[in-house]
Amino acid sequence: MVYLFLDILGTTGKKFINFVANIGHFFIFFGSAFYWTFKPPWYFKKIFQQILDIGYFSLPVVGLTTFFSGMVLALQTYNGFTDFNSESTVARIVLTSITRELGPVLTGLMVAGRVGAKMAAEIATMRVTEQIDALGTLGTRPMQYLIAPKIIASLVCIPLLVLIGNTIGILGGYVIAIYKLNFNPSLYLNATMEYLQLIDIIQGTVKAAVFGLIISMVSCYFGYNASKGAEGVGFATTSSVVISSVMILTSTYIITALFFG
Amino acid sequence: MEKRKNKKIIIKVSNLSKSFNSNIVLKNINFQLLEGESLAIIGASGSGKSVLLKNIIGILQPDKGSIEINDTEIVNLPRNLKEKILLDLGITFQHGALFDSLKNWENIIFKIANKEKMNNKNGKKLAFSIIKQLGLQPEILDLYPSEISGGMQKRVAIARAICGNPKILLFDEPTSGLDPVTGSLIDQLIKTAVRTVGGSAITITHDMASVCRIADKVILIDNQTISWSGTPKEMFNSANKKIQKFIKPINSEFLFK
Repeated sequence: MVYLFLDILGTTGKKFINFVANIGHFFIFFGSAFYWTFKPPWYFKKIFQQILDIGYFSLPVVGLTTFFSGMVLALQTYNGFTDFNSESTVARIVLTSITRELGPVLTGLMVAGRVGAKMAAEIATMRVTEQIDALGTLGTRPMQYLIAPKIIASLVCIPLLVLIGNTIGILGGYVIAIYKLNFNPSLYLNATMEYLQLIDIIQGTVKAAVFGLIISMVSCYFGYNASKGAEGVGFATTSSVVISSVMILTSTYIITALFFG
Repeated sequence: MEKRKNKKIIIKVSNLSKSFNSNIVLKNINFQLLEGESLAIIGASGSGKSVLLKNIIGILQPDKGSIEINDTEIVNLPRNLKEKILLDLGITFQHGALFDSLKNWENIIFKIANKEKMNNKNGKKLAFSIIKQLGLQPEILDLYPSEISGGMQKRVAIARAICGNPKILLFDEPTSGLDPVTGSLIDQLIKTAVRTVGGSAITITHDMASVCRIADKVILIDNQTISWSGTPKEMFNSANKKIQKFIKPINSEFLFK
């Protein structure tokens, strides 16, 4: 009985120490990646390729997600608020929900799934096939050549994607309000413009930048530290999406609390 | 400057040990690579040959011991200084390690293109001048590594290593997976690089025919240490049982011809 207890205690302790070590390892990676991101030389061709991949090719998925979310939001708000004769608040609720929360979070989650998984898989494959080792022997720092372009592109593209996603989401709400719920277009637009707050846009952009950092750092970290061949690549990919998504949902609360708490 | 028979020591490994957790891979490894010398490292799979090479090029950190390249101690050397030393080395990895996202010609001139601006035309021209020595056709230059055979990938990796004429060449199984004719071509190239350019090379190989063709000196890694060293001829005349296991199926007279 005592041995079993000691065994469980030992296993738990080992797992806890590993967990703490991994967190420490991540922050060391974070610091190093951040340092090399802002240190020349910058590989502009690689940065441009990443901007195209993260920004341009994510537009359809982000656009579709936010458009339908705006539509659903308008419909649900209308149905819920009809009971209180408050249908006029639909424009405000769609606007506030999209700009403050849904736009950034949905964009973050979509990009984490699409781009984060790709980043992790690409870097992990390079790690297990010794390409990262080879880079280091060819006078190129892997952090600068591989990681920094992804961080820079994420920091640039995700805030822009969020701004575009917000606009498309609001448009989705507008389409439902006007064509299904028979709102007056000019009244709906006026209400939207009236409640549009700069602080909401700023908060949404800050969230987007933080999500960009989370997605790129987490994905690159798992990719960079991958091992064990194909299994390791799979583990890196899955872990990057799961951890990025959890961190996005956690950090959105913290940022909201800092701005509006 | 430390010299042996008037030859400069290019790489000096002293008392190097490396383990992974409780698994000791290398213990007290000592050897020297002289200027103009071609050294072959042989040993069974998993004996630590590639680990030794990775220690030399700074990918792995030895637990103890020292590694000097051109009289500079590289263990614990700051990264920027280590990178400068590595630039003088031409390295091929066991599985090629070509960059998937770059075309073959971009892979070949990668190191040079990082140092000096080069347009595509000149880059391809330089890459072609190297691959023709390796029996490759110019058509492969515009393809990606995944679009050519494993043997061709190996040769592109060798082309990348020798691009810029580095004085120190390190090859990890350069002829594995190649047909005997191409293998012989690679051996000839290593020999040329060492004898003509005055470079030095370390080659990890299981191919005894290749050892005979390229090596001036052979070391056998077994049971975590260097258990035998000598010239290829001494190897074939050796009564050492471990060496005998390696050379048993080979007709040495035929090879040395």
